Formats: sequence, structure tokens, C-alpha cells
Amino acid sequence: MAQPQKNRSRIRIYADILASIETEGNAKLTRVLYRANLSYDRLVRYLDELVERKLIQEVRSDDNRYYVITEGGKEFLREVAKAESFLSGFGLSL
Amino acid sequence: MPDQLFIANAVLSLASGLVALLVSYTAFKHNRLVESGILRFVSFGFMLLGMGLLLQGSLITLLALDVGRIADRAALVYVASLIYLVLQLVAYSAFAVGYARGAYGRKALAFLSVVVVSKSELLLGTYVNAVTQLGSVMLLGFVVFQGILVYTRTRNRVSLLVLMGFALILVAHSLTMLASVLVSGLLYLAAGSVQFAGFLALLLFLIRSGHIGSATEEQK
Repeated sequence: MAQPQKNRSRIRIYADILASIETEGNAKLTRVLYRANLSYDRLVRYLDELVERKLIQEVRSDDNRYYVITEGGKEFLREVAKAESFLSGFGLSL
Repeated sequence: MPDQLFIANAVLSLASGLVALLVSYTAFKHNRLVESGILRFVSFGFMLLGMGLLLQGSLITLLALDVGRIADRAALVYVASLIYLVLQLVAYSAFAVGYARGAYGRKALAFLSVVVVSKSELLLGTYVNAVTQLGSVMLLGFVVFQGILVYTRTRNRVSLLVLMGFALILVAHSLTMLASVLVSGLLYLAAGSVQFAGFLALLLFLIRSGHIGSATEEQK
């Protein structure tokens, strides 16, 4: 089931953001922006959605704002990895 | 065919059916996350295939043990066999449509639907088994061809396992057709064994992609 290359799906973008936050540990907005390859406006929107879904947590200290991945976020990444592996068996991707 | 062969074939069908339902459930679960139309076809196809195989396995068991003198009820056996064959044909059609949508877009659906409808009309004829087996072989041939294209592009183990699964099921259907022509019980059992091997490949696919047991390298 070959599929032409298309824009990243919402799930793919969520996974990319979560993976970058997991890699960074305490991830600052600028680092996530760099790793997730998104415009500032879109990234802020997606981060708000991820906080709402309890997949990440926003932490504020002094003037800094950074993000940490929750257990739910880690579980989501594991599920996405399994889904990707299953999909690749049929020539599909996220 | 001796009863032992019947029972062996029934066990293989029941085990294959359970694997098919497991694949169906996994595709359904992932579809809730990724919402892919093609995954819906995969889930639907394996669900029908699993139901069909469980029906076939149960029917063979009942016939072998002659529970409730079922062997005397020809109409019941005929209808159950017909349901199994139709479920199988619809399942392979779902796979073929799923692959066609992925590979060629919606244009391919018109052609495939004509093939499926014409085969369904033929079901009313005398050669029900031969026609449905031929239909299954044609549809599976298309699915295997697409599987080869996917594997040559991705070159990963999971797509190879899916390809092996479908290819072995295709061989099993060809053997079943041959068994019908030669009226050979042993060949019929060989077909059941090859089909089971195909479902084992699909089970291995689930294991390697991390759905059963621990995580694997494909996940990392």
C-alpha cells in the first residue's frame, strides 16, 4: 500500500514534539522549535494541545518556561512507535 | 479423509482464525490513533477472514465428530460452507481494495468492484467452491504483487513478514483448488498447513512490531 510523500500528520507532529522534549529533558521553547521544525505560532498551538491532553507539562521558574514529558506522553510515544511499525508492514506511514 | 486429518485441519483453521482476529484487533486499535482508511480495510478484512476460519474450523470439527448427526444435514453444511467462502472472498476483496487505494488511488476501485461483483454473481452457479477459490487466488495474487512492491521499496522485516503471510495464504488456496480437482485429503491438509504457516508469519509480524512480547528493533 504505497503512499506518496505528504505533509506531516497531526500525530506525526505530536510525536516529533514529544520526542524532542523527551530528548531534551527540560525543554525550552526555542530548543523544541529547532528540533520540531515548525513555525512559532504552530508550535505554541500544538504545545497547548499537548498540555491540554496531559502529554506534557509546562513548568515556569523565574523568567524561564520549559516543558517536560509526562508518563502519558511517554506512553503515547510508545504507541506511536508500535503503530509506525505495524503500518510499515503494509507500506504505510504516519 | 480420515477423522484425524479432519481434526488436524480444524485445529489449523481455528488457530489461523485466532491470529487473523488478533491482526484485525491490532489494526482497529491503531486506526483509532492514526485514522487511516486503509487500516480500516485491513481490520475489516482480517475480521471477516478470522470469522470465516473459525466457522470453517468449527464446521470441520462438528463434521469429524458428527455432533448431532450434522453430516446428515447437507443443507446446513452447505450454507455454513457458503458463508465461509463468501466471508473469505469479501475479506480478500477488502485487502485488494485497501492496497489498490494505497497504490493507485480511487480509480482502481472501479475495476476491482467489477471483478468482485461478477464473482458474486457466479456464486449462484454450481461450481461455488471452484469459483470462490479462483476469486480468492486472483485477489490474493494482486495483494501479493502489491506486497512485493512494498517490500522492494521499504526492505524491512515487518513488510517481508506481511508479504510472506499473504504469499503462503495464496499458495494454500492454490493447493486447495488442486485438492478439489484431485480429491486428495492429504493435499487438503497440506493446504491447511501452508495457510497456517502464512498466519504464523503474520503472528511473527505482530511480535516483531512489538504488539506481543517486548519491544523490538523496529520500534527503536
